[in-house]
Amino acid sequence: MKRTLLLLLGAWVLTGWAQQVTVTSSTPLLRGVEPAFYPTLNASGDRLLYSDADAHGLKMLDLSTQTITTISDLSGAGYDAKWSNDGDVYYITSKVDELSRLVLRTGMRYDMARHTSDVVLEAQHGAVHLEAGTRGMAMNGEKHNFATAPNRGVSVYTTGSQLVVNIDGKENRYTPVESYAGYLWASVSPKGDKIAFFAAGKGIVVTDLQGKVLAQLGNYEMPCWYNNDYLVAQNASDDGYQYTSSQILLLKADGTFRHELTPKTSMTMQPTCGGGKIAYTTIDGNITLITIDIN
Amino acid sequence: MQLFDKNMKKILFPIALIMVVAVFATANRNYMPHVYINPGHGGHESDDRNVVVYPFAAGDTSGFWESNSNLKKGFALNSCLRAKGYTTSMSRVTNDANSDLALSTIVALCNSSGADIFYAIHSNATGVPARRNHILGLYRGYTGSPVIANSDVLASTLMERLQQNQAAVWTSSYQIAGDFTFYPDWHNAGLGVLRGNNAVSMLSEGSFHDYIPETYRLLNDNYCWMEGWNFSLGADDYFGYSFFGKGCVAGNIRDNRMPRVINDFIMFGDDNREPVCNATVILLDMDDNPLDTCYTDDLYNGIYAFKMLDPGNYKIRVEQEHYFSQTKQVTIQANHSSYCNFDLARVRETPPEIINYSPVWNEGDAPLKANTPVIFEFNWDMNTAVTENAFHIEPAVEGHFRWEDSNYRMVFEPNDAYDINTLYTVTLDTTAEHGGGMRLQEPFTLQFMTTYRKYLEVLDIFPHEGDPVHYKAATIELRTDSMLNNSYYYDKILLTDKDGNLLTYNRRNTKTGKNTDPFGFIRIPVASTMVPGEEYTLTILSEMSDTAGIHLPETIVHKFTAVDAGEEKPDATVIEGFEDASTFSVEDVSVNTDVALSASTDRLFGSKSLQIKINDPLSLESGIYSTSFDDVIVNGDEELSLHVNGDMSNLYLRLHLRSTDESQDNVFIDFGKIDFHGWRYITGKGNLNPNKTYKIVMIETDSDEDDPINSATIKLDNLLKTQKAVSVYGDVNGDGEVTATDITELYNYLLYNDDSHIVNGDLNDDGEITAADITAVYVVLLGPSNDAPTFLPESAHKSGVKVGPIPSSDYIMASAQGYIQGVELYDLSGNLVARNGGNYMNVESVNDGHYILKVYCGDEVSTHHVAVKH
Repeated sequence: MKRTLLLLLGAWVLTGWAQQVTVTSSTPLLRGVEPAFYPTLNASGDRLLYSDADAHGLKMLDLSTQTITTISDLSGAGYDAKWSNDGDVYYITSKVDELSRLVLRTGMRYDMARHTSDVVLEAQHGAVHLEAGTRGMAMNGEKHNFATAPNRGVSVYTTGSQLVVNIDGKENRYTPVESYAGYLWASVSPKGDKIAFFAAGKGIVVTDLQGKVLAQLGNYEMPCWYNNDYLVAQNASDDGYQYTSSQILLLKADGTFRHELTPKTSMTMQPTCGGGKIAYTTIDGNITLITIDIN
Repeated sequence: MQLFDKNMKKILFPIALIMVVAVFATANRNYMPHVYINPGHGGHESDDRNVVVYPFAAGDTSGFWESNSNLKKGFALNSCLRAKGYTTSMSRVTNDANSDLALSTIVALCNSSGADIFYAIHSNATGVPARRNHILGLYRGYTGSPVIANSDVLASTLMERLQQNQAAVWTSSYQIAGDFTFYPDWHNAGLGVLRGNNAVSMLSEGSFHDYIPETYRLLNDNYCWMEGWNFSLGADDYFGYSFFGKGCVAGNIRDNRMPRVINDFIMFGDDNREPVCNATVILLDMDDNPLDTCYTDDLYNGIYAFKMLDPGNYKIRVEQEHYFSQTKQVTIQANHSSYCNFDLARVRETPPEIINYSPVWNEGDAPLKANTPVIFEFNWDMNTAVTENAFHIEPAVEGHFRWEDSNYRMVFEPNDAYDINTLYTVTLDTTAEHGGGMRLQEPFTLQFMTTYRKYLEVLDIFPHEGDPVHYKAATIELRTDSMLNNSYYYDKILLTDKDGNLLTYNRRNTKTGKNTDPFGFIRIPVASTMVPGEEYTLTILSEMSDTAGIHLPETIVHKFTAVDAGEEKPDATVIEGFEDASTFSVEDVSVNTDVALSASTDRLFGSKSLQIKINDPLSLESGIYSTSFDDVIVNGDEELSLHVNGDMSNLYLRLHLRSTDESQDNVFIDFGKIDFHGWRYITGKGNLNPNKTYKIVMIETDSDEDDPINSATIKLDNLLKTQKAVSVYGDVNGDGEVTATDITELYNYLLYNDDSHIVNGDLNDDGEITAADITAVYVVLLGPSNDAPTFLPESAHKSGVKVGPIPSSDYIMASAQGYIQGVELYDLSGNLVARNGGNYMNVESVNDGHYILKVYCGDEVSTHHVAVKH
């Protein structure tokens, strides 16, 4: 009886007591221009990075002027590009070395003022992880590193099954949950007091800055912070070869609420948040920008 | 002891060498590549692939699942690469739902790991009855133009190594392609694990796991290990490494002549011979000192392997208690896979003897049926060709040989039948020999006399070809001229759905004929519920025989359609519901004892039907009154329909009416012969005068002397009257006019959809819906016209393609057991609206309406009625 009541209470918390979420605007982007993938909004939500289906090249759409700027035409540039706190763009390109056939990865910075890209981390073999802090950027390679400053405020990135948290220049590594295959998509909440990341086989995990698990939100991917209390994520399924469904979800960071922003059959994916806006693409590259209201 | 020391050295040295290499490589790990290994699928779930082979039941996770063999290969590759000094990551090391990662997660993990190369390990399946076994390597991009440079080279180096596997049987050489080219129109989707992957990447379909000999090989750990090892060699080749200095040898051990029989599965080349299970395989040095031992397993694959050997010459000896031992020399080369197959000869020390035979017939015995097979059982497996030549039968009759039990049993059957009333003499002469070449010592002779009868005669079968059959509680019946053999008939009477799936029977309630019955019969209730509108097939194999063993002259196949006999008829008026049996009575009290009326809960409508049970129907005609008939008036322009539950009693059922005018004309509405089982909706035939009105007199039954039965039990439910329809061309639903509803009806009939509604049926856009629109639908769906697409009927679909949602506002998804290459959307005029690679169609910009979606899956194209609604 007690168990039944608890289950009913849980169901009520998740549904009956749930917040009302309304999509207040929905704007198609880049329709008729080109298919766009890997969208990344800046913090103010007025600029959007995107790439092609293979993350080849990197472009920027200015949402206020609708102008498109090509940042890079190099391989891999679009996969994990990040905005820095000062508005520049950092990204990693990859290239197969003709002689050794090893993949070499190069760290790049696009200077928004000068409209040029520069190499900030020379080509090297192995993984290179981008780390966006509240006061600076870093690129952590297996051989060489780059940082705009030793103290980058609060920043986080993942390597293997480790969550690497850097607070005011002091680095700590945590393993909040077991995950053989590893962690991905780590980010700090807007107020800088929580971390969300994805643990393969476990799903989205929310921790405090010391790696203490606050909530596990379900087996969804690519979490991004909508605000300090809510995240947006992708919920996709596949048949081992290709996607069979994909949708965008709104999740409360404490795990008590889940709302489908798009239906399962919408094939929407790769969400990004910034400035109170949410953008996502579809399997064939149709980006949509939405705003929502949570009551 | 000395031997032990020597063996230990042989074993420890390679391990030490591996460690040295590993340490060396670790010290230089900055220069060693990182390989990301993705063992495909996982979790034994719907996106996994299970092939059911003996001794494993469907769903048994220890049986063949692609995720199992992919993981074994992944483990092997991981250990081989690490032994060589590579660094590695694996996307999973367990096989559960949590380890079955999403495609985008796998790509992200690979990118995050800093991988140089990415291997997705899979095996393939045809998804259709055809079988093949070859290797396929796919990379992202068009063939020759990979998105990530060198991905085609990576695929090529691996394919070369995998193709060299001589323990397998390949039906063709390997194939390498870009996924854009391999799946035309996939250019904007592609394989999920290669999309966005910035390592040099490929997906390998290492063999076909639904080719059954390969299924068994993939159950073998050593076989999977060898594929993993070959992957590592492919990586070495790609990076130009050759420092490792170890080699391996593997092979397949088979009987040198015994045929392999796995049901009716297709097999190629050496796979047609029996693999040798539980063989001991010993690795020897050139002085015959044993170095290592392994065993073939008991899973019918004959696979063995010796791993991580120093280059040099070795011997391999194979021992198995039923076979002569065999030793072969093999040369191991560094960074190379050697293959050494064995064809073992069975031990056969004595000459062949006939240890059993059939028929055993002596002068004075009853004659035998005219298709009695001649069977010889031997003490050894025989040389089939030679032994068939040693077989003689007089008088000569055309026949064929069948060998069973791995050539231990020889069966001769006449192609048609022997002559009746004839004495036959069969001789097997001394040229017959067994597989070891020894001959029969004495000729063997037998005789038998044949009877007067050749074949079992079919009197009737239900369902008949093309019959409508109520979808629930169906019954099938075979009725013959003699008592049927009550054994094993479930294997000879097969009921299948449109996809070939067997329906199940209610065996406990099966009825069979007795000697007191006027004919032989088997009456089998069907346990499965059928789907109205779908086609089913009843197959009765020619092996079906009577108690004397006389079989059918040929296999009988009847196709029929499941229907809902209780489907609502909105335009009809129920004039009798048969709810109250007490209102009914039999015409003649004197025969009342032979006709019993009662209420039955087996009904289509309300809570009861009327059951009429007649004993000895041949002796009487029954007439059944009802007080409720008194209030019923039937107009002459109306037609009457009745729901009847038949018992195949061949009774005739009719309704007796009498006009209400002074002439009191007697008219009979004929509901035909009850030659069916289960419920059926029957529209009566008869000529009512449209200018008169009628009252129902009674329900009458009659029987046919040519169809003798002992008793009959039928049931009646709703008797309906409807305004007689005027036939109009294109009036599919018979409502007297051509409307959009007819197009819906036509769709439902042709495409078996039951929940769709045609919004716009005006196909030729002339502003009204006419018969011409119906014709246009036929043209689109059946495709006989010049430009209209040709669609397969749904019944031809084998790969279980499903589409949805219907209607859709954004994407229509297709799913199937096999790989979906692409989809095409056609409007109802047959015009191509959109085409897309992959398993989805974006319909955001497609107008509302009904469309046909063609799905390309494997070798199949299926069509599906879909709808778009924004």
